[in-house]
Amino acid sequence: MRFGGLTAVRSVDFTVNSGEIVGLIGPNGAGKTTFFNCLTGLYVPTEGTVSYQGTVLPPKPHLVTKAGIARTFQNIRLFANMTVLENVLVGRHTRTREGLWSALLRGPGFKKAEKASEARAMELLEFIGLAHKRDHLARNLPYGEQRKLEIARALASEPGLLLLDEPTAGMNPQETRATEELVFAIRDMGIAVLVIEHDMRFIFNLCDRVAVLVQGEKLVEGTSEVVQADDRVIAAYLGEPFEGDPAQNEAKAAGTTKGEAQ
Amino acid sequence: MHTLPQQLANGLLLGSMYGLIAIGYTMVYGIVQLINFAHGEIFMTGAFGALTVYVYILPDGTSMWAAVPLMLIGGGIVSVLVAVGAERFAYRPLRQAPRLAPLITAIGLSLTLQELVRNFYPGADKSRAFPSLDATHSIGSVDITDADIFLVCAAIVCMSSLAWFVRKSRTGRAMQATAQDPDTAQLMGIDTNRIIVVAFAIGGFFAAVAALSYGLKYGNIDYRMGFLMGLKAFTAAVMGGIGNIYGAMLGGVVLGIAETLASAYISNIPGMQQLGGQSWANVWAFVLLILVLLFRPQGLLGERVADRA
Amino acid sequence: MTETKSPATPPADATPTTATRGLIGLPLPAARALLLLGGIATAASAFLAWTWTSDFPGDLTVYGYPGGLQWLTFVAGVLTALFALASYGVRGLRWLLPARNNAPLVLTALGGFGVTWFTAIEIAAKLGGLANWEPGTYIAVVASLIPVIGAFALPQEAGESTKETLKAYIAKPEAIPAPQPIAPWIQRLIITIVAALGLGVFAYGIDTQYGEIFIGFLIVLVFAVWALHTAGLLDRFSAMVADNRSFTLAMGFLAAIAFPLTQTDDHYANIGVNILIFGTVALGLNIVVGLAGLLDLGYVAFLGVGAYTAALVSGSEFSRFSGVQFPFWAAALAGAAASLIFGVLIGAPTLRLRGDYLAIVTLGFGEIFRLAVNNMDGVSGPDITNGPNGIPSIPDLKLFGFNFGEAHDLGGFTIGRFANYYLLMVLVMALVVTVYRRAADSRIGRSWIAIREDETAATAMGINGFRVKLIAFALGASLAGLAGTVSAHVTYNVVPNPYQFAGAAPPNSAFLLAAVVLGGMGTVSGPILGAALLYLLPEKLVFLQDKSLLAFGIALILLMRFRPEGIIANRRRQLEFHETGQLDVPETTTLSDEPAVTKAGA
Repeated sequence: MRFGGLTAVRSVDFTVNSGEIVGLIGPNGAGKTTFFNCLTGLYVPTEGTVSYQGTVLPPKPHLVTKAGIARTFQNIRLFANMTVLENVLVGRHTRTREGLWSALLRGPGFKKAEKASEARAMELLEFIGLAHKRDHLARNLPYGEQRKLEIARALASEPGLLLLDEPTAGMNPQETRATEELVFAIRDMGIAVLVIEHDMRFIFNLCDRVAVLVQGEKLVEGTSEVVQADDRVIAAYLGEPFEGDPAQNEAKAAGTTKGEAQ
Repeated sequence: MHTLPQQLANGLLLGSMYGLIAIGYTMVYGIVQLINFAHGEIFMTGAFGALTVYVYILPDGTSMWAAVPLMLIGGGIVSVLVAVGAERFAYRPLRQAPRLAPLITAIGLSLTLQELVRNFYPGADKSRAFPSLDATHSIGSVDITDADIFLVCAAIVCMSSLAWFVRKSRTGRAMQATAQDPDTAQLMGIDTNRIIVVAFAIGGFFAAVAALSYGLKYGNIDYRMGFLMGLKAFTAAVMGGIGNIYGAMLGGVVLGIAETLASAYISNIPGMQQLGGQSWANVWAFVLLILVLLFRPQGLLGERVADRA
Repeated sequence: MTETKSPATPPADATPTTATRGLIGLPLPAARALLLLGGIATAASAFLAWTWTSDFPGDLTVYGYPGGLQWLTFVAGVLTALFALASYGVRGLRWLLPARNNAPLVLTALGGFGVTWFTAIEIAAKLGGLANWEPGTYIAVVASLIPVIGAFALPQEAGESTKETLKAYIAKPEAIPAPQPIAPWIQRLIITIVAALGLGVFAYGIDTQYGEIFIGFLIVLVFAVWALHTAGLLDRFSAMVADNRSFTLAMGFLAAIAFPLTQTDDHYANIGVNILIFGTVALGLNIVVGLAGLLDLGYVAFLGVGAYTAALVSGSEFSRFSGVQFPFWAAALAGAAASLIFGVLIGAPTLRLRGDYLAIVTLGFGEIFRLAVNNMDGVSGPDITNGPNGIPSIPDLKLFGFNFGEAHDLGGFTIGRFANYYLLMVLVMALVVTVYRRAADSRIGRSWIAIREDETAATAMGINGFRVKLIAFALGASLAGLAGTVSAHVTYNVVPNPYQFAGAAPPNSAFLLAAVVLGGMGTVSGPILGAALLYLLPEKLVFLQDKSLLAFGIALILLMRFRPEGIIANRRRQLEFHETGQLDVPETTTLSDEPAVTKAGA
């Protein structure tokens, strides 16, 4: 993935197997979020492909979600003025069929589907513990609950792979612990999870495998022990902490420099 | 029947006028991502400002050599004031609002300006005569008037000074920075409010230049003149790649030529005999916009975004 | 502006502390007495003669009977007295003031004062001088001032400045005590009464014969509704409506049908039918603007496409296809389908891009539509639409042997031509309301709102943004086309001129958008109310006609600045416009804002 002259992510080969929690770490600006955006079709990769369960995914966000990859955002992007329940129902979009006509005619099929969607959404709200706030506006939730709701919304699309972009950013230790439990529970549902995080303890507690991304390239990949012991990782974090910084800013400004792809 | 070179010249002239107005759209958009719908009316008020100078301030019989620069100043002052006032009092309070809000404000502003002129400018409800420069010169097979010469010179001077300003001056560079990333620019000590005002002011002044050329060329102005001109100038800005100042001028010229050629020649195409002529020119301009959006939505110069102001 | 820091008013029986005293220093009993007696006196003064000549509209010369504007003074006086009684805690009236706050008293008193003084000043101005006042006028002027004095003598926690205190006087309290449970049948009875009242008020407004009375009507209406709002009664009523949604809709529908029965003159039914057409189209636009957040500035062109289609197949001898006469259902379908096709043609290239492009392309389309139908007269273009002359002599509709052009007798009431069409339009509007509500509350409606809220997140949730936006746009276009087919028959002819971006009278795209924005985006009743207001204002206030567009432009700017959510605020919209909220969403990069354009470059 290149932005103008800048290469944000380069040759990152990466596989996540089902039932696995994989962590993606790296200093600020290493290209983690850009990598996510490529995965989910928000950016069109300059080169390379994303495949899921053996099929190559087209770079369109809605098709990626439909194929079974759901995500959360680093800076929460809930539908602020919709209720908690409605947010999760929007997540059900790809798993339901009802179009305009059935909405207008309100046949039995429509009612059944709406009921089923709502039941499923309520299950998910129970799962994250927000069922009692179903009719609150998303914007009125406290920060931690907004993070949870975003996860529930992503789960509503019945993904096989869930991408979490800094799910514990700004959380206190208790909340972080709770999120950890939540991620384990999601894994136990048979969903593969890929997490971006800065909180090392969180990552190493959680993940079966950890990959380190530095300056857009994959440095190491392996179990927590392997990664923790790797000198290059330590160097990347402590030795040159601000090296990669400009990349992140560049990625942000990419709207004005415009993605270039072949 | 005009010759092809004459048609091309006409298109080029019309296009320069579109381009001058389009600069206003594109600069404002480049910096605040706002489509200033009322820009067509800023153009219109500029024309009335210039007319005011000629009719009510200058003594009768002032030579046009003296009158035109003074009219330019008068029109420029009016347009710039209206543009800056619109920014300050209508758009600025809405900068954090959902994007529908400034668009609706712009429509309100556009109606207000039109109606103010129609209701309160003497005789503006019908078209008002504007002093025209219609002395004709022949260059080869092409006839051009003094007004055309003024338009071409003004467009060239405006474009080159703008290019210099954006590239070399401190404010111009601050402008580029703000366009890239307003938040960072602000952190770097750039007064973004001032930059935005400057963008509105430049756009307003260029619109006044276009308005004066319009009056001198066509010999009359009315309160509705801004609507279609504004719409087409915006089309030009989009065609050139919105946010790109050179694109705006290029888009204007392409649109002007395409429109002129379409109204002149499309009736020669079998099956389309009745779709030519001036009355369909606007339709073709619009069809062109749709085609551009379909096939090249980023505009003709869309990839040079890094250079935009 | 309902949020203030000091809304708390002490309960009526508590002794006012030093902090809470009135702006006018009077003891509480005196203030209340002034309100009550002043209210009664104001109402009573309406029975006196206010002027000596019947030259003033409404004939205010009669003793013993109110006329014209006096009726409005009377109503305002009675309302003030009722609220005053409620503030005493009179049994049976307590429900009028659940929060026991000052605002309803202040506002009704101001309403009475406003309409009475307006009348008195109009009399003096119209007839030339105070000499035209009768003793009754002086009494009314004084009587209507009394409750205002009383109202501002009510104890009120003082704000930091006089302005703040004044604001606090008319503020709605933050918490309205929950109502006692009301039996369902009483709830329904109340809804029925309100529907009947609404019909009465609406019919009164339409029937006003003079601009003066209409202004007086607006003054009383605005202050009365405002008073009910600050009293918390509107909230209670909407809660009641929420519990009885279908019943309310049915009653609203009945009230709408009953409207022509209240009219003796078919002219007013004509106004009614035009309001309905305007409102229906505004509601269709609301799907596009209010739900999906797409700004359509050429919406009236779709109305025009429908109208022209219907006219062409109406069997009018001036139509290009004069031999063709479709039955109405086929013409309606054809009109809707033609608009749909244009909607898709316009929407498909533009909806992939940022929303602003749509605005400008639709603006262009609206203008081009008008130019094209103007040109297609066989001289400067193909011969299809008969150019600026349009297609006249469109025959009246006949449905199941029912001729819409003739007056019919119905149980003693005469239903005239326009009343027939009015009833047809009620059906069309009912259809559009149903479409709106059902679409909004479904998978597709949720995806529209999601797109409006955050397009990037919506697509990441699997919504095909382009597709659902196109559906919204096309649906809006076909509903407008449908309304257009009826409007062609109502007006006998179609001409290019009304289908423009901005004009002095509705419908045009700017007025339509304003109806939606003024009434309240994303609500059902908002655009209809907005349409009624925007239609009636230029119709009734003839003196405004020349300046109406100016007033209207200024109003749009002020509205966006001070109350962007419109008269009837959608809960979501209100928050969206007024709060920054807790979400750290605003940190959007330019890239995520325009993914479509960025990608198109790839």
